[in-house]
Amino acid sequence: MSAPVAIVEARGVGKVYPMPAGPVEALRDVSLTVAPGEYVAISGPSGCGKSTLLHLLGCVDTPTAGSLLFEGHPVRAMGEEERSRIRLRRIGFVFQRFYLLPMLTAWENVELVQSEAGMPAAERRARTRELLEYVGLGERAGHRPSQLSGGEMQRVAIARALANRPGLLLADEPTGELDDETGEQIGDLFDRVNADGTALVIVTHNPALAARARRRLAMRSGRLAAPSVVAGS
Amino acid sequence: MIASLRRLFLVLALVASARAAGAAAGASDPPPDILVSRGLMRERGLSVGQIVMLSADARGAGARPFRIAGVYEPTPDPSRFTAKRLEARMHLPDLLGLTADPGEAGAVDAVGAINIGLKDPADAGAFARELAARAPAVSVVPTAAGGDEHFVIIERFHMAISVVTMIGSTAFLLALMVIRADERREIAGLLRLLGLRRRRILLQALLEGLCIATAGAVFGVMFAAATQGAVNAFFQWRYDTTLVFVRVTPAIAARCVALALPLGVMAGLLASWTLLRRPVLDLLRR
Amino acid sequence: MSPLQFAWRSLSRQPARAVLGLTGVAVVGALLFDMLMLSRGLIVSFRDLLESTGFDVRVTATEALPGMGPSVSEAAATVEALRRLPELAAVVPVRFGVAAVEALGKKTEEVAIIGSETRRRGEWRLVQGADLAEDSGAGRPDMVVNRTFARDQGLGPGSIVRLASTLTPREFRVSGIVEFPFEASGERMAGVTLNGFTRAFPAARRDEADLLLVASPPGMGTETAVSAIRRARPDLHAFSIDEVLERLRQAEFSYFRQVSFVLATIASFFALLLVTTLLTVSVNQRLGEVAALRALGFSRRRITLDLLAESALLVGGGGIVAVPLGLLLAHGLDSILRQMPDLPSRLHFFVFEPRALAIHLAFLVLAALVAAAYPVILAARLPIAATLRKESIS
Repeated sequence: MSAPVAIVEARGVGKVYPMPAGPVEALRDVSLTVAPGEYVAISGPSGCGKSTLLHLLGCVDTPTAGSLLFEGHPVRAMGEEERSRIRLRRIGFVFQRFYLLPMLTAWENVELVQSEAGMPAAERRARTRELLEYVGLGERAGHRPSQLSGGEMQRVAIARALANRPGLLLADEPTGELDDETGEQIGDLFDRVNADGTALVIVTHNPALAARARRRLAMRSGRLAAPSVVAGS
Repeated sequence: MIASLRRLFLVLALVASARAAGAAAGASDPPPDILVSRGLMRERGLSVGQIVMLSADARGAGARPFRIAGVYEPTPDPSRFTAKRLEARMHLPDLLGLTADPGEAGAVDAVGAINIGLKDPADAGAFARELAARAPAVSVVPTAAGGDEHFVIIERFHMAISVVTMIGSTAFLLALMVIRADERREIAGLLRLLGLRRRRILLQALLEGLCIATAGAVFGVMFAAATQGAVNAFFQWRYDTTLVFVRVTPAIAARCVALALPLGVMAGLLASWTLLRRPVLDLLRR
Repeated sequence: MSPLQFAWRSLSRQPARAVLGLTGVAVVGALLFDMLMLSRGLIVSFRDLLESTGFDVRVTATEALPGMGPSVSEAAATVEALRRLPELAAVVPVRFGVAAVEALGKKTEEVAIIGSETRRRGEWRLVQGADLAEDSGAGRPDMVVNRTFARDQGLGPGSIVRLASTLTPREFRVSGIVEFPFEASGERMAGVTLNGFTRAFPAARRDEADLLLVASPPGMGTETAVSAIRRARPDLHAFSIDEVLERLRQAEFSYFRQVSFVLATIASFFALLLVTTLLTVSVNQRLGEVAALRALGFSRRRITLDLLAESALLVGGGGIVAVPLGLLLAHGLDSILRQMPDLPSRLHFFVFEPRALAIHLAFLVLAALVAAAYPVILAARLPIAATLRKESIS
């Protein structure tokens, strides 16, 4: 029996940004494989390349060195539209600043990505209701982001990220703008999402959130520090 | 319509080349002099000293030779600046001899109008009234009776267009000010949180609006002043006239600034007020 | 959610800004619509006037417009020669003159007089009394007068009009009140027979005509009539209505055409600037959101469509309001320009044509596309990762 295909696999990837003062090497020779259902946390000081790695894993950006495979397919060979399609259907994103659309209600924010993916209206409605219940905001569906607290906004953002049933959920400092207690609630929610089978990669400064991951990686100066810590395995 | 056309009618047909005309003129006295408008000179490739045949008949019947003594620039006429000024000036007896019906005895002694120059132009009104009373069959009109009505109407039209443009500009200005105020929402909230009163922040907006409006108005006037030459040159070239179409006078510049400044200030204040009337925490909330 | 719904929600997020944007577009759109009406208004209106006379060809002695050049000599023989052409249905000689009449209080007033044949009347429309009778040469000849002249002089059918002169006064009997298609507001006008004209202006050259009005037979076409006249009398100048209008377009009416062009260009530029500014600022203020949407899988095409829809809503909404606003404004501007002296009172500067509306709509579509171009490029080429990084730092 063959091993399951990794959701995303980075092999010796590097990323160099051309800058007016000279090129900046944000990532150097990073190798990382995320298997289906995995829970990975990446920590490290600011500017060490965590977000850059997350963006590469999420097909938002392409590496300047090494190779990156998403579900076995080389990302470098994909065009912009194909990467967009993968992000829409196979990857969910959660941001530090939520990025909910302020003119839409919580319901509409969650429904929007499904409609973009071409999901039928009836299915969309059922999925949106299910997701808002899932994140505990069934009663706040008609509220706009300005009427929600920070924690509630992040829960809507998580519901949105899960809307198209992605195999991989990426979160960039998801508790960065929240207090500890709310951060804990978000951590609980991520645990549940992972337990339901979605692979998670979280970039965080929050040790409590990182501690929830089964695999914790540390980054320093654009490299993954070895060895990785594997919890509970 | 007819009356205006009649007043403008003074066209003669140029019927022969200089050589033929010279031959015709050689047999008798030297031909009388005429002045030819610059437009006609250029249009027909004429030159000073040339002999031309003129006739009041389109087919050249009764043509007479004339010598071109000089070129003149017709007085620009705003009511007919789009028309080509193909004109000639000659002595009245020559004109009557050319145009009068030889079969009508009185025709050679008939004129369309008599221009009168008074020693004191201020007497024009009184003179016109007195002459009209003495000669009821004559229409007496002082030439300085008022500005050209075409001018007045065109000016009124341009003024109406300006008002419409100003309304559009005001909406644009207000939109820009609202955007600007919105961009500074958090700063305004912070300042109010720090205890600054609304009046203080509004005063700041007023001064900013004043600066922007002044800069905009001055730039607008300078732009208009800089481009007026090009606009005039284009229309003067297009219509072959010496009329001036655009003139940025100090009065117009002052009027522009006087309109732009309060508009700019009011737009700034209004936009700021839409922000400041909101609760402080609303301003700070993302 | 469709791009249009999305755009609507984006605009309603900043209602003050959207309303001001719509107002700005509506006002400059109204100006643009008016300038489109002005660019051809005089021509369309003048065509209506020319056609209302029932004659489709004008014949003059030179290329000058009627009344602006030498007259047609040997008019009677010329008219007879033209009438023999089978391609022409009617030929009417016309003369123009300006006379003085003695008004109340011993003042004199000018009256424009048209001399024409009694055979066919397209030069005026009878509204009261009787038309001109053929002048027998004895007694007072007939005269028809317009309402202004009748009102100013207290005239009616049967009244006597006395043309003033430094020599001998000349008297006419008013047979009726008429309406001249080209009469200006406040202009006193009268119509007489050709014989009457000669009696009104004894010093004028005999047997001349300022203009020959020609009607082509129904179904034969104006061009056939014009060609026939040019063949038969190459010394004369025949113009179809189209040719007269083209000359007016090139010369007499060109100022308003150019003013309309300049103002339409400025209005279009202004609308573009307004919408581009609003959209660019809007995009700049939500770069993070756009980058996040792109990260969530929204394609460049979708982002482009959203912005185009937003532009279309602003320009389209403003443009629709611009049409009634423009018609209202055109009415006001037209009434200002129509105060010009000596202008036919039936002539209009601003005339609504479906063509103007079509061009207005085409301009709006173009404006919406061009106005969205820069913000679309800005949003579509947004580097997602770099923007998210920058936004999280800020």
